[in-house]
Amino acid sequence: MRKLFIVLGIIASVLAIILSVLPVSNLAYFPAIAALLFGLIAFYLSNKNSQSVKTVQLVFLLTIIALSVSIYKSIFQTAEVGDTEELEIRQQESVDEAKEELENLDFDLDDADLDLNEEDIDLNEEDVDLGDFEDIDME
Amino acid sequence: MLLAPLYIKLIYMPKYFFLLSLFISTFGFAQNSAFKAGEKLTFAASYNMSGVLTELAQVNMETSEIKTSKATLLRLKCTAATYSKWDNFFKIRDLYESYVSPTTVKPYLYKRDIYEGGYSKFVQYKYSHSKGTVASVIKKKKKGGGTYDQNNTLSISSNTKDIVSTIYYLRTLDLNSYSPGKTVTMTVLFDNKPTEIVVKYVAKETINTNIGSKACHKLAISIKNSNILKGTNDNLLWLTADENKIPVFAKFKVAVGNGELKIKSATGLKN
Repeated sequence: MRKLFIVLGIIASVLAIILSVLPVSNLAYFPAIAALLFGLIAFYLSNKNSQSVKTVQLVFLLTIIALSVSIYKSIFQTAEVGDTEELEIRQQESVDEAKEELENLDFDLDDADLDLNEEDIDLNEEDVDLGDFEDIDME
Repeated sequence: MLLAPLYIKLIYMPKYFFLLSLFISTFGFAQNSAFKAGEKLTFAASYNMSGVLTELAQVNMETSEIKTSKATLLRLKCTAATYSKWDNFFKIRDLYESYVSPTTVKPYLYKRDIYEGGYSKFVQYKYSHSKGTVASVIKKKKKGGGTYDQNNTLSISSNTKDIVSTIYYLRTLDLNSYSPGKTVTMTVLFDNKPTEIVVKYVAKETINTNIGSKACHKLAISIKNSNILKGTNDNLLWLTADENKIPVFAKFKVAVGNGELKIKSATGLKN
């Protein structure tokens, strides 16, 4: 019985250690709690039969390490986005390409929902008018 | 879609002008008073792992103005990037863009450029609303390396949108006039297939978010003839019940689990 709980305790604490160093450190709490329970039972059984508690101490040690790593991570590690430089370059390239694509695209000219840039056309017309007047003055 | 021929008919029949105006007021031409260029929304996407929510990625939704020689368009950009601790395991760098009309959110160009854990995909849709078609380009990998373009022309209905413009279009709907249980069906072009998405107005609800306690419109989203999204009323979206209608919270349930999308910050709002 004692051996069974020691083996279960070791398995659970090793699993807790593995999970705590992975990004899913939140999940390490479950095997850690299980390891603590198994450890306590094994400790109680060992004391009762006055057997060695060395292996049980190992279970506790591993569990405490796993718990401290997980707690440290959940308090001090803020979720930050990694390197997005490549994504930003792709975004810029995408806009540049899109501008070209949109230049070639057929907009429905009678589509009232589009803000068509007619200012440019107006300005050109004014230029033409001015030119005409100058010509007349010259004559 | 089916209503398009009817719509054309109605235009040429002045005696049905009344019907036309009714039609417009019921279905169409929602004017955008919810967002403008320069808006930036940041979200944190979490995934539920055996009961523990783990933050996976940051999702940004940005709008900006794009000027061409012919028109001024709104660029709707959605990006998703995994947090650095996940990058060695499953790196996501997704870019979704849609270039739309600033007033009606009608899309003209859509681009999807994704990288998800070694898998990448590029899809582009060029809309031609006058012809009712979409020119689709999908970049595919060649066996020996390099890529080639797969071109297709798809026919669409007048209100077919892409996934990005649909999300923004939802914000232009007059949700205040909706009663619980009302549904709206939208056609979304995804992976070259028109997919019908049903949005059901559930209720008005006040929820706590990172940008304060907000009164929200709660919407349930489902896809017709598809079982990607699981459960009924398990895929939910909360839009603030103000003029901006910011998406502040979303819950989704798929075959491999469920997750959440929570707002972290919102800047450059219109109202």
